[in-house]
Amino acid sequence: MSDTTPDAVTRPPLRRPRPRTRATKAYRAVRSYLYLLPAVACFVIWIYGPLAEAFMLSFQQWNLLPTSPKVWIGLDNYRNIFDLPKFWQALSNTWYYLVGLLPLAVGLPLVIALFTQDLPARSRNLYRALIFVPMIVPPVVAAAVWRWLLDRNHGVVNLGLQALGSEPIAFLSNPDIALWTITFITGWKLIGFATLILSAANASIDGSLIEAARLDGATKWEIVRDIRLPLLSPTLMLLVLMVVLLGAQWSFAYIHVLTEGGPLGSTTNIYYLLWQFGFGSLAVGWSSASAVILFVGFGLLAAALFALKAKVTFHDD
Amino acid sequence: MKTIFTAAAFTLTATLACAQAIPDAVTEPVTITFYNYNLASAGNGADATRKMIAEFEAANPNIKVEGVPVSPQDLATRIQADIVAGQPVDLSQMTFAALGFASENLGVQALEDIIPQDELDAHFEGMVPNGLELGRLGGKTYGLAYTFSTPVLFYNADIFREVGLDPEQPPKTWAEIRDAGMKIAEKTDYLPLATGIYGPTALDWLMQGVINSNGGSVITKDRTRMTFAEPESVEAVKMLRDLAQNGITENLSITAQMEGMASGQTAMYLQTSAIQGYLMKGAKDNFELRAAAMPAFGDKPVKPSNSGSALAMHSTDPVKQRATWELMKYLTSKRGYTIITSEIGYLPLRPEIVNDPEYLGEWVKDNPLLEPNLAQLKDLSPYTPLPGPNYLQIGISMMDAMEMATFGSDDNVEELLTETQDRTQRLMP
Repeated sequence: MSDTTPDAVTRPPLRRPRPRTRATKAYRAVRSYLYLLPAVACFVIWIYGPLAEAFMLSFQQWNLLPTSPKVWIGLDNYRNIFDLPKFWQALSNTWYYLVGLLPLAVGLPLVIALFTQDLPARSRNLYRALIFVPMIVPPVVAAAVWRWLLDRNHGVVNLGLQALGSEPIAFLSNPDIALWTITFITGWKLIGFATLILSAANASIDGSLIEAARLDGATKWEIVRDIRLPLLSPTLMLLVLMVVLLGAQWSFAYIHVLTEGGPLGSTTNIYYLLWQFGFGSLAVGWSSASAVILFVGFGLLAAALFALKAKVTFHDD
Repeated sequence: MKTIFTAAAFTLTATLACAQAIPDAVTEPVTITFYNYNLASAGNGADATRKMIAEFEAANPNIKVEGVPVSPQDLATRIQADIVAGQPVDLSQMTFAALGFASENLGVQALEDIIPQDELDAHFEGMVPNGLELGRLGGKTYGLAYTFSTPVLFYNADIFREVGLDPEQPPKTWAEIRDAGMKIAEKTDYLPLATGIYGPTALDWLMQGVINSNGGSVITKDRTRMTFAEPESVEAVKMLRDLAQNGITENLSITAQMEGMASGQTAMYLQTSAIQGYLMKGAKDNFELRAAAMPAFGDKPVKPSNSGSALAMHSTDPVKQRATWELMKYLTSKRGYTIITSEIGYLPLRPEIVNDPEYLGEWVKDNPLLEPNLAQLKDLSPYTPLPGPNYLQIGISMMDAMEMATFGSDDNVEELLTETQDRTQRLMP
């Protein structure tokens, strides 16, 4: 048919190459950067700019009030912070928070995700929904509720313990226990989220792999060990990375509402301390200096974790 | 940029203040803002402050007062931010410690520059001169003395009777507190003693009173050298440690302290008289609440520290200045102090109303709680503010060390305090 054969007359004429002026050349050269501009601008304005500013402020003395001058004091802020026993206490507490959070925010959700996988759909969804609920409770509300639950004299938990014949436990005012109480509450809040992520990853594993293993006579445990765990490893590493890099930050609301870093500084961590420096005593220099220390420290940690991630994860390509 | 805005705002302020005279009365509707920290507290005077504002508005139908609740530690930053943002700030309840800063940075007006002198004199008549003096900087009144309190020892007379202590003879010294505390701890499950000495909001105001009462100080009078590791201070902290080790006192948050005392679970509570209203509410129909003077060290004189605030005027518009001044006059009037003293627990800075049946006369008869607070007014040793741009870090480090020395596991109080004193000395200007 005639309309299927291209007609030389109706075909649009070949476009003649545009004359290459200097302007178009320049435009071509910068065009790709223009496309990048919005994203780069966002990064610079919201991340790198403040980062540079914090770095500058860490060498200055300033009390946050626009009318008062910023005084350049060199390394004094760093010296004062390293001199402060509370800083080292906060640093080691941060470590304990991370160590305590990993089993709660990665280990337990993994177990839950694996075990609920084979449940009938309806009860599996109900079960996972129940586990997810803590995630949607606002942190401050959760903290207030935990305060009542854990109250030494009238709290349900202690009333229960007393009924079992135990002495009441000062969950939040005993310096040896308070840190673990806050870690537990932070972890409890994260279980739902981690379970959701791991369940999704678990469900997306190709069923034919499992089927093949089963035909080969693999037991349930062997399937988990040799198929599910290796295929879950990228997700697991992602969770570990998130918990290590961000976990101690998520405890902020609970520390603030429940203990304010006490008793005797036992629940403070580096994030809470730098907030206290900055907004508790308006020492922006101290706060920025500890933020820079934090940035460098966690930067190294993140680099190490990424290297580890590349090494241990397995992708089903 | 912000600096420029603020500077411009303050220049404008100064120009306006000089240019226009304040009217004699408010003849048209006007709204003023009142930044107040009592409003921000749970039981501690929010209701009483709202009541005073309502009474004032009823008497001055043209003036509407918008109360802005701000906690004391956020007050300076909040006012600064609001001025920069163009929000009207007319009146603030400023702590004495922050008044100097506020007059230089937050546009606080000297009353002498605005209000006719004879009107000022007439209002100051009858107010405690020491109180008024605290609000003066360089001879001008930047803050009108408003709320004033001293630490008192609240005690639960019913618990005293239960264990065989005489509620008519409350402990006068720390040694007597220890004896009474031991008795209470032996016979009951009540907490013998809570104190407001430690805690994020206390900083060192109460601790200074405790150490001063033992003849020591946390800092020299000329504010150049920290002295909280000297023998008198160490002795005072060791005494507190002894109380803690024997289970007589515990490390509690301020909320837990207040709730414990108000619910009748704590026998004695050393704290600012400003929480009196809150405790009275809890004690009503529950137990008999009484108060005694701050405890002494042996026969050394007690030197209670004061805490308190002044009313600072930020208004720049003459009509608003008049409205603000009318509110200031009402708040510090005989009627104002009647509410402040009977419902919050601060001292009446017009002492004559204590015996006036029209004001506090009847109330004082039924509520002897006020007496120790009033009696301590003459022994008052003013709080010494810590110096320099790092003053809060110095205070926090010092209080952290003292808290650790009182409640921690290490017995060596002296070493801990000396190490911290050396460290804080390096932060001094």
